[in-house]
Amino acid sequence: MKKKTISCKKVYTHICDNLDKDLNSPVCREIKRHLDSCPNCVTYLDSLKKTIILFRDYPNPKAPKSVRRRIFAKVHFK
Amino acid sequence: MINKFQRNCYIVKTDFSILSYKMKQKLTTYTEPERTLLENAREGNHKAFAEIVRRYENLVYSFAFKVCRNKDKASETLQDTFVNVYRKLDQFDHRSKFTTWLYSIVTNNCLMKNRRTKLAEASVSFTEVQLPHDDFEEHSHHNKSIHEWKSTPLDRVMNSELKDLLDGSIQKLPMDHRVVFVLRDIEGRSAEETAKILKLTVPAVKSRLRRARVFLREQLNEYMTS
Repeated sequence: MKKKTISCKKVYTHICDNLDKDLNSPVCREIKRHLDSCPNCVTYLDSLKKTIILFRDYPNPKAPKSVRRRIFAKVHFK
Repeated sequence: MINKFQRNCYIVKTDFSILSYKMKQKLTTYTEPERTLLENAREGNHKAFAEIVRRYENLVYSFAFKVCRNKDKASETLQDTFVNVYRKLDQFDHRSKFTTWLYSIVTNNCLMKNRRTKLAEASVSFTEVQLPHDDFEEHSHHNKSIHEWKSTPLDRVMNSELKDLLDGSIQKLPMDHRVVFVLRDIEGRSAEETAKILKLTVPAVKSRLRRARVFLREQLNEYMTS
């Protein structure tokens, strides 16, 4: 069995802070080694990723045009 | 040859790279207003101000909606934000991006509206919530199996049950954590820019983001594993 070099907490903290960055630093290589032997961390990180995807995919409504008129009226546009 | 967990790890990493790419694509669709446009608006040129509203109304409305999850409140926030922009335009000194300045105004409006309507009462205090991250002792979850989540909707069409769950979950998140989550994970702003918008330190942004992600994950866990 491979030796775990860092804790699950450190894995979570580091990956969470660097989700959108290149994971090729020495710490990241250590994290990869940890993930090799920790299926719970892999599953947990996957669920975090899905959490973000769900919120990001939530459809966004467009700004109602009527608000534009209210803004211009407020700042005394004619 | 790579094993299953290495493969999963690479999948996680690759998917995040795709997310990052998509975020960059989304951000490039917003053109920065030229300095002259802002200066013309500052000098009272109505056409220039109307162009600023036209360019950024969807960004402001969409952000406000993501934070307050209510179309009427998002409309009010949109109106208040551009009235503030009009009145404070002479305070914008071009030292930051215009969008950074705009985000700081809309965020303040969201926070003020939240205080006024006492929505904060509906939020759960983090002191009352057991955060798994806080319990992450050395290998603490090794004896407890974490259930895999089902796939996110492939067709990007969300059912109303899931939408309600997402709305309810984010509304339980305290506002100071909610704005960090929306700016960082949904709007794709960097930790540095988010810190500037919210007048926080980068470590404070990172800390709030970690807690927000864990909290929201916990809120969705039952639905996504059932």
